[in-house]
Amino acid sequence: GDVYKRQGLRICYKMAGSGYDYDVSTLSPEGKIYQVEYAMKATENSSTIMGMVCKDGVLLGTEKLIVSEMMVSGSDRRVYSVTKQIGMVITGLLPDGRCLIDRAKEESASFQKQYGIPITGKVLADRIAQFMHMNTIYLWARPYGCNIIIASLDEGTGPALHLIDPSGQCFGYFGCAAGKGRQIARNEIEKLGSKNLTCKECAFHLAKILHKCHEEMKEKKFELEMSWICPESGMVHQMLPKDIQKELEARAQETLEKEAMADVQSQIMKNINICLLYTSD
Amino acid sequence: RRPPRSTPKPSSAASDVYKRQVHGDYLIDMESIDWSQPIRDGTTIMAVVYDGGVMLGADSRTTGGALIYNRVSDKIEPIHKRIFCLRSGASAHTQKIAQLCRLYIGQLGSELEETPPVYSAAKIIQSFIYNYKSFLSAAMICAGWDPIKGPQIYTIPLGGTLVRENIATGGSGSAYMSGFCDTHYKAGMTRKECRDFMIQSISLAMFRDSSSGGIIRLLDITKDGVSREYISHDQLPLKQNNYSQSCLLYTSDAADEGLGVDLGGR
Repeated sequence: GDVYKRQGLRICYKMAGSGYDYDVSTLSPEGKIYQVEYAMKATENSSTIMGMVCKDGVLLGTEKLIVSEMMVSGSDRRVYSVTKQIGMVITGLLPDGRCLIDRAKEESASFQKQYGIPITGKVLADRIAQFMHMNTIYLWARPYGCNIIIASLDEGTGPALHLIDPSGQCFGYFGCAAGKGRQIARNEIEKLGSKNLTCKECAFHLAKILHKCHEEMKEKKFELEMSWICPESGMVHQMLPKDIQKELEARAQETLEKEAMADVQSQIMKNINICLLYTSD
Repeated sequence: RRPPRSTPKPSSAASDVYKRQVHGDYLIDMESIDWSQPIRDGTTIMAVVYDGGVMLGADSRTTGGALIYNRVSDKIEPIHKRIFCLRSGASAHTQKIAQLCRLYIGQLGSELEETPPVYSAAKIIQSFIYNYKSFLSAAMICAGWDPIKGPQIYTIPLGGTLVRENIATGGSGSAYMSGFCDTHYKAGMTRKECRDFMIQSISLAMFRDSSSGGIIRLLDITKDGVSREYISHDQLPLKQNNYSQSCLLYTSDAADEGLGVDLGGR
C-alpha cells in the first residue's frame, strides 16, 4: 500500500523503488531501472494498439476513448503515415508518441536523401528504438512513455511489424499488441494465424478483437482507427476507408454479440445438465 | 596541352644531383618537368551490361601534364562486394569520392544486412560531385549488381547528373571510340561478345588518345562473383606503336594473322 513519508520538503510515496527511482541514470540493487519500468506502466493503462502481418500486407489498429462529446471525430490521431509504405501507431503518453513520429519522418527523409532509396521498416525501427533508448541513459532526460508499433511493406523483405517499448527494445513480430487490452489481443492474434489470411479478411478480425478488448469499459464511448498496407490500398499505407470500416465494425459487433449469446446458452445448458444429473433417480 | 619545349642541358655540377634522374639509358632533367599540372586519370573508361552481368573496363594511364605517373594504374575502385566504380578526372578528387562512397555504402550494408542497392552508391557519388562541382573535377561511372534490379550502370559526369544506362563510356578517350561503340553495341550480348567488344573499343581509344594507354583492365560482375583480368600490351588488338595497322575487323572468332591483329583469344 501507499505510505506517505515526509522527507524534508518532499512528500513521496514509499513504493517498490524506495530511493533508487528518482532518476533514470540510477540502477537499483536488483539490477532494474525503475524509471523505465514506470514509463512502461504509463503505457499499460492506455489505449490498446495492435498490428498483424498478413499474407499480402500488414494491418494496424487502435481503439481510442472519446474524451469529449464536443471533439471533432478523427481529431485525436493515433495512426500516422511516416513514409508511403510505413505506418506507425502510438499508445501511452501521446505527446511523447507524436514527437517520435516526427523524428521517424525526419529519419526517413534523411535516409532517402542520402541513399536514394526509401527507408526499410527494420532500419527505421532500429533507429527509433536507439533514439528512445538515448533517453534512458542521461540524467537530464526522462524516458518516452509510449509504445509504438511500426508497420512496413518493403520490396525486398515484404510486410513487417516492429514493436518498440520505452526501454528502447525493438523486436519484429507477426502479430503484436500493447496497452490495456494487450493480453486479450495477443491471445486472439495467436489463435487467428493471420499469416495465412489476406488483409481484407484480417481487417474484420482486427475490428472484432479491438471491440473485444473494450468490453470491460462498455459504458465509455470509443472509436476505432485502423490502417493497412496491402493491394486494396495500392500497396501504400492508408487509413481504412470509412465505409469499409463502418461495415466491418457493425459485423464485428454482431459477431461478438452472437458469440456472447452462444456462451450464455452453453452455460445454461451446462447448468441444466448438472441439475438433471442431480434430480434423476 | 603545352607544346614540347627544348630543354636545356642538365647541369653537371655535383650539387645539382637532385636535378638529374637516370631512367635506363636516358637522362631526365627534373626541372624541365611541369610539376604544376594536376595528376589526372586522362583515361578511357567503359561499362557495358550484358546478359547475366555487367563488365567494366579501363585503360591504365595516369598523367600529370606530359609525365606518365603510373602506366599500370587501376581505375576500377571497389565500393562493395558487387558494386564498383570507374574513375576519370583529377585522381585525388575521384579517389576521395570513391573512398567516401565506400564508407557510406559499408554503413548502409550493415544497417540493411543485405547487398546495398547500386543506386544508393551512385546517389552518394552524385551528391559529392553535384554539391562540390565548383571544386571538383571528377566524372565517374558506378556499376554493379543487386538482387532487386540486377546488373546496372549509372554515369555521373562533371556537372553531377545521374543517368542510368546499359552502356556507359567516359574519360578523354571515350570521344575516339564513340563511333565504334554506336555501330557495334547491341543489347543482351553474351559475356564473350561483350569482352571482345570492350577490348576493341578501349584499344581504339588508347590508340588515338595520348592520355590513355598502358594495359586494359577488365572487371566482370555477376550474381555469383567478381573476376578481374588485364590485357597486357602485347595482346592488344592495336599495338600503339604500330602505325601500319589501318584496318580492323570486329569479329570474335577471326584469327587475323594476315593483318597482325591478335584478339587475345582468352
